[in-house]
Amino acid sequence: MKIRAINRKLKKQYGNAVNASYEDGCIVLRGNLDKWDDVVAAGMLCAEPYSKCHVVNDIVFTGAEAQKMRMPSLKDKALEGDKPDVLIIGGGISGCSIARELSRFKLDILLLEKEADLALGASGRNDGEVHPGIDLSRGSLKHKYIRRANRMYDAVCAELDIPFKRVGQYACFGKMSWLPVVWLFVQKRKYIDGIDDAKLVLGSKIRKTEPNLNSDFAFAISNPSSGCVSPYNLVIAYAENAVANGARVSLNTAVTGMEVKNGRINAVMTNRGTVYPKIVINCAGVFSDEVARMANDRFFSIHPRRGTNSILDKKAGKRMGMIASVVGASIPGKTRTKGGGILHTVHDNLLIGPDAVETYERENTATSPDSIERVFAKQKVTMPTLSEKDIITYFTGVRAPTYEEDFIIEWGRKTENIIHVAGIQSPGLTTAPAVAEDVAQMAASALKAEKNESFNPVRHAPPHLAAMSDSERAELIKQNPDYGVIVCRCEEVSRGEILDALNSPICVPTVDGIKKRLRPGMGRCQGGFCSPLVTKIIAEYLGVPLSEVKKSSEQSPIVFESVKGGGENE
Amino acid sequence: MNNFDVTVIGGGPAGLAAAIKACDEGARVLLIEREERLGGMLKQCIHDGFGLSRFGERLAGPEYVERFMDKLSEKTVDVRLLTFVTRIEKTAEGFCVVTVSRDGLERISTKTIVLATGCRERTAKQVFIHGTRPAGVFTAGTAQHFTNRLGVMPTKKCVILGSGDIGLIMARRLTLEGAKVLGVYEINPTPSGLTRNIHQCLHDYDIPLYLSHTVTRVFGADRLEAVEICEVDESYKPIESTKVRVDCDALIVSVGLIPENELAESVGVELDSHTKGPVCDCQLMTSVDGIFSCGNALHVNDLVDFVSASGELAGLSAAHYAKKAQCKVNIKIGNEFLYLVPQQLDLNADNSRVTFYFRSKAVREKSLLRLTVDGQEVFKRVYPFLRPPEMQQLVLNMDKFAVQNGSDVRFSIEVAE
Repeated sequence: MKIRAINRKLKKQYGNAVNASYEDGCIVLRGNLDKWDDVVAAGMLCAEPYSKCHVVNDIVFTGAEAQKMRMPSLKDKALEGDKPDVLIIGGGISGCSIARELSRFKLDILLLEKEADLALGASGRNDGEVHPGIDLSRGSLKHKYIRRANRMYDAVCAELDIPFKRVGQYACFGKMSWLPVVWLFVQKRKYIDGIDDAKLVLGSKIRKTEPNLNSDFAFAISNPSSGCVSPYNLVIAYAENAVANGARVSLNTAVTGMEVKNGRINAVMTNRGTVYPKIVINCAGVFSDEVARMANDRFFSIHPRRGTNSILDKKAGKRMGMIASVVGASIPGKTRTKGGGILHTVHDNLLIGPDAVETYERENTATSPDSIERVFAKQKVTMPTLSEKDIITYFTGVRAPTYEEDFIIEWGRKTENIIHVAGIQSPGLTTAPAVAEDVAQMAASALKAEKNESFNPVRHAPPHLAAMSDSERAELIKQNPDYGVIVCRCEEVSRGEILDALNSPICVPTVDGIKKRLRPGMGRCQGGFCSPLVTKIIAEYLGVPLSEVKKSSEQSPIVFESVKGGGENE
Repeated sequence: MNNFDVTVIGGGPAGLAAAIKACDEGARVLLIEREERLGGMLKQCIHDGFGLSRFGERLAGPEYVERFMDKLSEKTVDVRLLTFVTRIEKTAEGFCVVTVSRDGLERISTKTIVLATGCRERTAKQVFIHGTRPAGVFTAGTAQHFTNRLGVMPTKKCVILGSGDIGLIMARRLTLEGAKVLGVYEINPTPSGLTRNIHQCLHDYDIPLYLSHTVTRVFGADRLEAVEICEVDESYKPIESTKVRVDCDALIVSVGLIPENELAESVGVELDSHTKGPVCDCQLMTSVDGIFSCGNALHVNDLVDFVSASGELAGLSAAHYAKKAQCKVNIKIGNEFLYLVPQQLDLNADNSRVTFYFRSKAVREKSLLRLTVDGQEVFKRVYPFLRPPEMQQLVLNMDKFAVQNGSDVRFSIEVAE
């Protein structure tokens, strides 16, 4: 699209408020708009799907106060003068998987995460689906990686010792009359796009496999290669394996600026001191365009997109064992998503969602009732017995798409020692293992790094007693009686397992840190019974009063001072 | 010993009463408690008002428990603390209860089970409160645990949602500890807690109660900073125009209790959709024979006196059921038999037409089959031939033979004269 044509369209929509210009191989938008939806729409109007000529949307949104990035309260000099070979910014799935793949080489790797734990952005706030790629055509980076990465999951999850289930997926259709068109679509996907597991199944087969799905479904596209993982457990496992192989992870560490000279990043400033890396890898999710800007290499824009998922009680999990969604019934209201679905998680809950709502707030993960209503309205078509009454919790994540809706995985365009891994949205969790291999190779080749001969790809998860046989469990309790003291009744988590997590390679001694690793607080009582007990174990482990224990960040104490009687009673 | 007549799961007021009663009835009783100390939620209920109808006194929760603990100490009940039931299996003799504790994993065989597993609190998410996920959102019971058991304050300035009794009690408790309780908000047009608690916990401390109000949202990325409060219409829908933001550091929710019956469901106990507890008969036996339910696991009670009473009934019933289950008499046979079925007689069943099947071990001619009860001959029959391949059938009215618990019931075959 020529810039003149773009400007004609913009003028028609927004008068003189907005204009576009072609600069350094990008389409740069400038102007003022007071509705965020208009800001996004203007960006989309200029964008060509999968194009390398990205939209940089500099339209000023005047409708609300600009949001500042959440910063850790910590300030020290722990990293001052550090000179890593590779500095990874962002502890999500991209950053952590790349750190692990890079640890196959003899490199000094430092990963920074501004939050108190890993996977607190979109990587930890998604449905955990390992996608088959049925929605992807040739030509995009998403498509380039999807099949290769999907096939890697069994091996990666086995190495990292985390549960992974190929539960399979049905995309269901209500009308038989659509069959010929969908058949053609599946043939194209299968033989042209290489989504080789795709096939059609009829209603009778759907009903036999999943009797609780809508009995009116005529047929479905089946993708047996679809699966699910716990996304934050995958991120943490990747990071733990990276650390075991020599990488370093610094939590509560935010990048505040960069010193760029002669097209190279010299220094990276953080709240914990200035770091002098040879190469920077930008895995900063919703802030990846901000990091690019600091690196003097901004050639794309992220427009944050929220998605909300609900989690249902494990009792509801018995009603459906795979991933299912209805095609054709759209979520009411504005949306841009594959439509969400119902997913039987690796922990046997049901997960419903997500929706997709554009937002100017990159970090606002607050939920709202309308998201849940919308998703349930749609998914009740998929499974009529679905009930809001079974909801035990819900959460919102913010995706980080570019206007071209594809990944950016490339060296900086103006700054030479940065690799951008940006625009990573769905299916970014799925593609991570393959993307990480390639990005690690890019960085290692540039640094002419040697192989790390002592690299060990295997991570051993700490024992998970509830999943063991009686005899294994009895044996472990004999070795460590703390494994016999159950702290979380809903998920059957023992004191011994909590102490293991506190002693794990990346210790996150917070109530949420323990919750993510072991699930106390994720069951049906949502921590009602166990949160005081977990708080106490953490306080004892750290040797601090209960008031020093945090939920997550430094500013999130669980309790305050002692009662008037003084002292802790137990 | 890992063999019991009655196994009580849960050492709160219901379980304590059940264990004591079952022991009084002569049963061998095991009481399993997952915490370090007995007493259940009463451990943290340091306010008074317990036991008014049972003891005619206003006791604090721990005092009420102590009365039962004193009684328990005189009994021969086997008590296991810090012990968690991971599952229940059905067996021929009754049940196998699998537990874990510091001592390892144990399989306990028991004739009956009393489920005294109490209830859990409905959470903020279950009443659809939206917004962020900050520290500072507590159920009233969790806030009470922190305050009364761990001795630390969960808040300095809070809003309480729900006028259930624990919420009211916590409003007073936190006020006494110097926290500011901005108000108790109740979605219903009438209070949910006991009238005496409205007076003693709110009015006496000038804590406002707002009826037909609810919390719709929480704010704060780290620690809770504020909540959004709305009035609701007759159909409990928040009225948008009444939305106000109230600054506080905690939201304490007291919005209902749900009986804990996950163990019950795992062994097929049928639940009532209204009570969320098991469907029970007048002896508090559930739909699974030999499993009894009591206390707040059965239905949510307002007074602990009722909880104890239902525990006693369940304990009594379980002990009687176990005793009945003991009324099985083994039927002994002599060496002349290859076998005889059935091998046991249940004295509680209708035994007026019991069909026995047997085969002789060897080929015999002219044989006399004799049945004795406690040495007395009660029946005999002559068979011209007995051969192992030919099964014999014999129908007897066993009820008229005065078989008793522990009787020696014996079949023999001898040469007929």
